[in-house]
Amino acid sequence: MTKILIVDDDNHIRKLYGDFLTLEGYEVKTAADACEAYEVIQNERFDLIVLDIELGGDSGLDMLKRLKREYPDIPIILNTAYSIYKSDFHTWVADGYILKSSDIQSLKNKIEELLAHDAPA
Amino acid sequence: MNELLSRTTDKSTDLLRALFTDSSLGFLIINERGLLEFINNEAARIIGFDNIDEVDGYSLHDIESVISCNLREVFSMVMKGHDYRKKEHRCTNRRGHFVVLSAYCSPYRQSDGTIVGLIAIIQDVTSFYRKKTELENAISELSIISQVAEALSSTADLETALKIILTGVTANQGLSFNRAFLFTYDENQNVLRGKMAIGPSSPEEAGKIWSSLAQQPRTLTELLKDYIERENSSSFSLSSMITDWEIPMEETSIFSQAMNSSQWINVDFQDILDDNSGKILKRLRTNHLAVAPIISKDSKFGLIAADNQITGKRISDSDMQLLQTFANNTAVAIERSRLYQNLVEHSAELEKKNKLLARSQEQMVRVEKMSVIGELTSSIAHELRNPLAVIGGFANLMLSANKNDPNSEYLNIILTEAKRAESVLHQVLDFSRASRTKSRDIDFNKLVNQTHEILVSRLKHNQKPPVLELSDDKHFVWGNPDQLQHALYQYMSLSTEEMTDECGVKISTQTRENVVHMTVAFNGDDKVRKQVVKTLNQIFNNPGGTYKLSIIVAGETIRYHGGNFGIETTSGNIPNIFIELPIKGGQNND
Repeated sequence: MTKILIVDDDNHIRKLYGDFLTLEGYEVKTAADACEAYEVIQNERFDLIVLDIELGGDSGLDMLKRLKREYPDIPIILNTAYSIYKSDFHTWVADGYILKSSDIQSLKNKIEELLAHDAPA
Repeated sequence: MNELLSRTTDKSTDLLRALFTDSSLGFLIINERGLLEFINNEAARIIGFDNIDEVDGYSLHDIESVISCNLREVFSMVMKGHDYRKKEHRCTNRRGHFVVLSAYCSPYRQSDGTIVGLIAIIQDVTSFYRKKTELENAISELSIISQVAEALSSTADLETALKIILTGVTANQGLSFNRAFLFTYDENQNVLRGKMAIGPSSPEEAGKIWSSLAQQPRTLTELLKDYIERENSSSFSLSSMITDWEIPMEETSIFSQAMNSSQWINVDFQDILDDNSGKILKRLRTNHLAVAPIISKDSKFGLIAADNQITGKRISDSDMQLLQTFANNTAVAIERSRLYQNLVEHSAELEKKNKLLARSQEQMVRVEKMSVIGELTSSIAHELRNPLAVIGGFANLMLSANKNDPNSEYLNIILTEAKRAESVLHQVLDFSRASRTKSRDIDFNKLVNQTHEILVSRLKHNQKPPVLELSDDKHFVWGNPDQLQHALYQYMSLSTEEMTDECGVKISTQTRENVVHMTVAFNGDDKVRKQVVKTLNQIFNNPGGTYKLSIIVAGETIRYHGGNFGIETTSGNIPNIFIELPIKGGQNND
């Protein structure tokens, strides 16, 4: 089963995405901050990570940088309330950029798009 | 001659002879029959005789005709025992020389007191009189020059200053000139132009003015006032003789000669004159003309021409020097006026720049505030985005999970409202993102053009793009380019998103006074007009309208940049939307 990690400091967002993606057939794990996220990643292999940029005290961008260095094969979707980061070149290393909204289908579509792209032919 | 002296038997007669024959005072005695009894050498000289022997047989009548004095009246007065005294009597003597006399007449008495004649002492004060007159003239000249200087220092108006100077030139008919003409030099066309003239227009008018002046002397300012009043009430003004006159400086004439040599010229019609100079004298209807150039350092301003057309008085070198003094004063007045004009222009420019600076500073403060508001709005909007995503997301999830959910109607409402709130947040965040850009000078037409391009790129296939018409002039506004673009976009997009196909839209820019305008104009038939009115009413007057928030933000952005916006109705009765922003005199660094 495809495993997805949701990293977001908002527990309701974690719950929403977790339930929604589970319903869509994914195995979902969640983390509230960067520390918790590293712990989970070190123990499990994930197929995709959905990462919030504003993670309380930690910067999602720093985490993005580290993840891309240590796990370059895992596609990462930045999921944020801030559209401004889209023009920040630090975010360009991410594989997708999704604005948080009630339209959860757009997240699902982006996940499917990236996984299909990464799937062996 | 010795008849009277022989009757005056006392020794005093001999004493008189001894005392007065060679006296420096004139001494003469007339007997009771009016015959000259005694005259000394000085008296004979004053009256115009070579020696006293020529006077033999002369009577009161003969002397009276020479010295133009009513001697008989004086004689009868003295014979009655009165004294007579006359100071500075001006007359012409027997030889035709101008003489000024002071005379003292007294009864000539015998030792018993009987009056037997008249004894007179006369003194030639011609030299003294001339010196006194010269002194009085000099004082008068100084007084006029002083008055001119005083009047010039109290006026900054060149026209008034020039009139004051010309009035000074003609202020005293006995001393100065009868008429004065001012010509100004046009360097570009190399011509002299008649500017103004002061003086009586006829001998009759001169007579009236000068007799009035003799009775009541006036100051220069009063004279000028009188002159202006006379000119206003008269059908003829002396100025009209020259105001349409242009004299080319390349032509040889007394005027070009005075200007080129920077020297005054005193001309007489009897002098050998060139044709052009002859024409000048003829046009001014004069036989003598004094010309003084108005020159300061290297600048030529024109010249003053003056004459004594009424009195015919000869123009002396002293008069010329006085005229040149006035011409020099005129040069100073013209230079002073130019400097003053420059000062006024620079002051106005400075004031304008100060106002502009104050307005720019005010704008900067506003834009800074706008930036703070933008940051605040941004943080609030982001805080709202998560809960909205959660609310709408769960509604979406519930609907996806169970399509037959009994609460699906409510869930749909929750989802729709969450999306609407997200749309509003999107607009607010667009604005706050724009607030992060730094303010600078912005080419207004370029900004409108770029915004129009964005608008066109976002149009749907079936939408007509608005026509763009930019003004030719380039003007800068100061502010945040992203904020302003966001605001302009909001107004522009109204025209395309709400209007029907029948409605033509034109976006144009204009410059009015110190502001630039962008107008979104609509055209079409009455149906279009009703649609436009309805749409604009909904947008601007309906508090629950879809565009309310974005239009409020756009409007505030315009106001914060010192501008204004609104709806204006044109002659076609279809209302237009307009935006105006203050022009900034910035550099082209856009």
